[in-house]
Amino acid sequence: MSALDRLVAPFARARSRDSGLPTALVLLSGAIAAAVLSPIAWILLRVLEAEGGPSLLTHPSTFATSIALVAVVTGASVVLGVPLAFLTVRTDLPFRRFWTIAVALPLVIPSYLGAFTYISAFGPSGYIADLLAPLGVDSVPSVYGFGGVALVLTLYTFPYVFITTRASLLSFDESLVEAARTLGVSRIEAFRRVTLPQLVPGIASGALLVALYALSDFGTPNLLRLEVLTQAIWVEFNGFGRETAAMLSLQLLTITAVILALQSRVGDSTQGAYVGTRASTSDTTVALGRWKAPALAFCASVVTMCLVVPLGVLFVWFRRGSSAIGRTRLVFEWSYASNSVLVSVAAAVACALAAIPVAYLAARHRSTVAELIDRATYIGYAMPGIVLGLALVFFGVSYGAAVDDLSSVIGAASYLPTLYQTLPLLIFAYVVRFLPQSVGATRSSVMRVDRELTEAARLLGESPLGAFRRVALPLIAPGVFAGAALVFLTTMKELPATLLLQPTGFDTLVTYIWAVRESGSYGAAAIPAFVLIVVSALSMVVILSQEK
Amino acid sequence: MDPSTRDGIDDDRSGRSRVRSAVGDRRSFLQAVGASAGLLGLAGCSGGGGGGETTSETSADGDSATSTSTSDVPAPKTYTEDELFHMDEWRGDGPQVGERPNEYTGLSVLDLPNLRGEITVYLGGGEGGLYQEAMQRIQNLYRDFTVYIRPASSSQLANTIIEEANAGQSPADVFWAIDAGSVGVVAENGATVTLPDHVTQSVPDTYHPTDEWVGIMGRARSIPFNTNAFDADEIPNEVAAFPDDPRFEDEMGWAPTYGAFQAFITAMRELNGREATKQWLEAMQAHGVRKYGNEFQVANAVATGELSAGFSNHYYSRLVYEERPDAPLELAFTQNDAGALVNCSGAQVIKNSSNPETAANFIHHLLSIELQEFLGTRGFGYPLLSSVPPIGNLPTIDQLNPPELDLSTLANVQPTLELLREVGAL
Repeated sequence: MSALDRLVAPFARARSRDSGLPTALVLLSGAIAAAVLSPIAWILLRVLEAEGGPSLLTHPSTFATSIALVAVVTGASVVLGVPLAFLTVRTDLPFRRFWTIAVALPLVIPSYLGAFTYISAFGPSGYIADLLAPLGVDSVPSVYGFGGVALVLTLYTFPYVFITTRASLLSFDESLVEAARTLGVSRIEAFRRVTLPQLVPGIASGALLVALYALSDFGTPNLLRLEVLTQAIWVEFNGFGRETAAMLSLQLLTITAVILALQSRVGDSTQGAYVGTRASTSDTTVALGRWKAPALAFCASVVTMCLVVPLGVLFVWFRRGSSAIGRTRLVFEWSYASNSVLVSVAAAVACALAAIPVAYLAARHRSTVAELIDRATYIGYAMPGIVLGLALVFFGVSYGAAVDDLSSVIGAASYLPTLYQTLPLLIFAYVVRFLPQSVGATRSSVMRVDRELTEAARLLGESPLGAFRRVALPLIAPGVFAGAALVFLTTMKELPATLLLQPTGFDTLVTYIWAVRESGSYGAAAIPAFVLIVVSALSMVVILSQEK
Repeated sequence: MDPSTRDGIDDDRSGRSRVRSAVGDRRSFLQAVGASAGLLGLAGCSGGGGGGETTSETSADGDSATSTSTSDVPAPKTYTEDELFHMDEWRGDGPQVGERPNEYTGLSVLDLPNLRGEITVYLGGGEGGLYQEAMQRIQNLYRDFTVYIRPASSSQLANTIIEEANAGQSPADVFWAIDAGSVGVVAENGATVTLPDHVTQSVPDTYHPTDEWVGIMGRARSIPFNTNAFDADEIPNEVAAFPDDPRFEDEMGWAPTYGAFQAFITAMRELNGREATKQWLEAMQAHGVRKYGNEFQVANAVATGELSAGFSNHYYSRLVYEERPDAPLELAFTQNDAGALVNCSGAQVIKNSSNPETAANFIHHLLSIELQEFLGTRGFGYPLLSSVPPIGNLPTIDQLNPPELDLSTLANVQPTLELLREVGAL
């Protein structure tokens, strides 16, 4: 054995050990995936109860509408998000910092609130129609139907693509393009062969979140009157057709599985997996020149649509609400805000912890098992809140009954805690729904960490866990943190599962907004909506400050 | 809300006698007899205030261990306003309240059994916090009584209770839902216990078709119309007439995804059969009826002139009216058909409740004269205790002509959904 071989051998061993699947990590990740998939068992249970057995295609046109909506919203989000990311990262656009935050902020506005304000603003006899009427404009395009739903969903989800594309652009090593150029490749060819493959995984991971959000959102299509699967599920639950609702949920999950499979093909290209660890050193900022004005106008119009319109309408509600007769008796309390923050922080921490093993496994051990586990954590993101809520009602109470039975059999007081209508079960529901946001952010940060660094630590005698803790963890911490912040702000907005699973008397901002909205009192909804937006906006600033 | 009212009630909790003495001589009758019996927590006193006689019905669950056994509940009687418990504080003072009666028949909270312990109420809907405030006021009447409230949509809570019962035990003692259909479906799934007669007896049979639940407040289907477009006498008195009437072409709105609308169509199916209902739905669609997300939106659209008329509960038009008192909006009511349906909020005791007697007595409190006055004058519902009239220009509940229909059948929404889908309304 040559000296060189002796030197290389330990690395080779480390490598081979590393690429084999570590049992403990697989078991841990598998358990996390199984836990977040467990609500599906309830769906299957109810489907099997259905008269005439399960049938998969009960509402073909609704099914088609859902698919079309997902396609349009995802496409439109890419069309909006990618140029905006490029403008704010790679050009000399004036006030880039401001635009970055302003363009990402729509993510903090619940899309149902967006839809509500859009109806107020653009609906027949809304504020805009009132404004235009004296000018001789007697009809505005309808906000109702497919177009309106697609518009509102795009406006409030495209920041997912914006944020992930930005991250890719920021970590993109421009010297690769320069290298390609010195090798005689044309500018366009260099973009197609070098830049694009590096950006696609980032764009795809944002697009995946958009697609699954568009599929699972209920509030927007409900308010803007579009018959999609979630709407049909809601109607069935209202009519106590739980079996049909379960069947529709299964259809929804089928679409989810297809989307996930598609995304793995686009987003998991191995070229994309190796992203440079350093941002470009040379200054490659693109000068906008005479395109500066159109670029600014583009940013400004997006921000107007996403932020100025809803905030303006909320302000009008607020003004009106303070003067009008107090219809609602539900008085706003600041504890609703602290409750919201409490559960959202807890959900963020829980998701961050659960995401690390799954993301680490997926990023470091490319195998079918690792990929399946990773994909499985995304399923819950597309599960409608009401379905997830009822599933956990059933399991929560079943668990309670089992504990009771157990303690009566043993004849001793049970030491097992109850779960139903407690915070842990509620937070588990949030983990099921929002874990993928954490997994995605964590996984891409793991990919960015040079594999050799942990291997070097192993070589220096660290255990696998020690190497992870002392070397990898500090490096991936920003990604973990960004993922957690994303979970935080989506939890702040979550309504249906919260309503079903909150501990009795534990009201949050969204449940309060729900209650006063239910009573038709828009004025009273304005304050909690503002509070929700401001608190969430702070977490958005945290996400963006993690960027280099 | 009137802050002084609220203070008065808060005081009740900490020092009932202080409040009573503040009321002074007007309440001398109460101080002398009934008041101490019902409300000062002296267990075992029968409500011997005036009538004296006790009811002879049997107790629902035969629990004789407690001091508030149902035999302590006196028969309903007639009270003057002064004989009731602080009626002026229960009553609302909105512009639509107007004159109130001098006498009421029923039971005062003064003569109802004391409430003690803790109960959990699942509250479906609830008129913008009105029901919650009502329950808080009941809680404040007693020193040792706590109500935990879980609000959500009524169908969601019904689904929840059924899931809970499937899996084991529901934490709910009482389910109070805004619609008869939701309490009906919970009862059908065997998740309730029978209510004692003394709770249900003062409510007309229409509003408690079974003893598994009892109606609390009613609300009527109505035709909101824009007064710039029509006069009241121009509105047909049957829903069947609308599709044939050219004046309503492209001028009406409905909310097919909305529970109250589905209850209306369910009633139509029950009354006229599926085929006739299908024809009516198709005819309305051919007539250009417009879809809305809920009935508040329908009423609002009528008020703004976007529509000339629509189908909605009377309640939502009242809400529009409250926000815009000058809205050109009025209500018409059809006669003896599905369009004249009167639905109600209903309450029931959930099976295996750890405190079933208190739960039933709690529901009885909701049907007391004071609470019916409270709910009827501060919200827009119809009190189901017929001696407590509704407010505003609304016809009284006995002037409405609802169809003969078992309200529990409104739970049978599934075929309605299929029908609505079949004709493309959903």
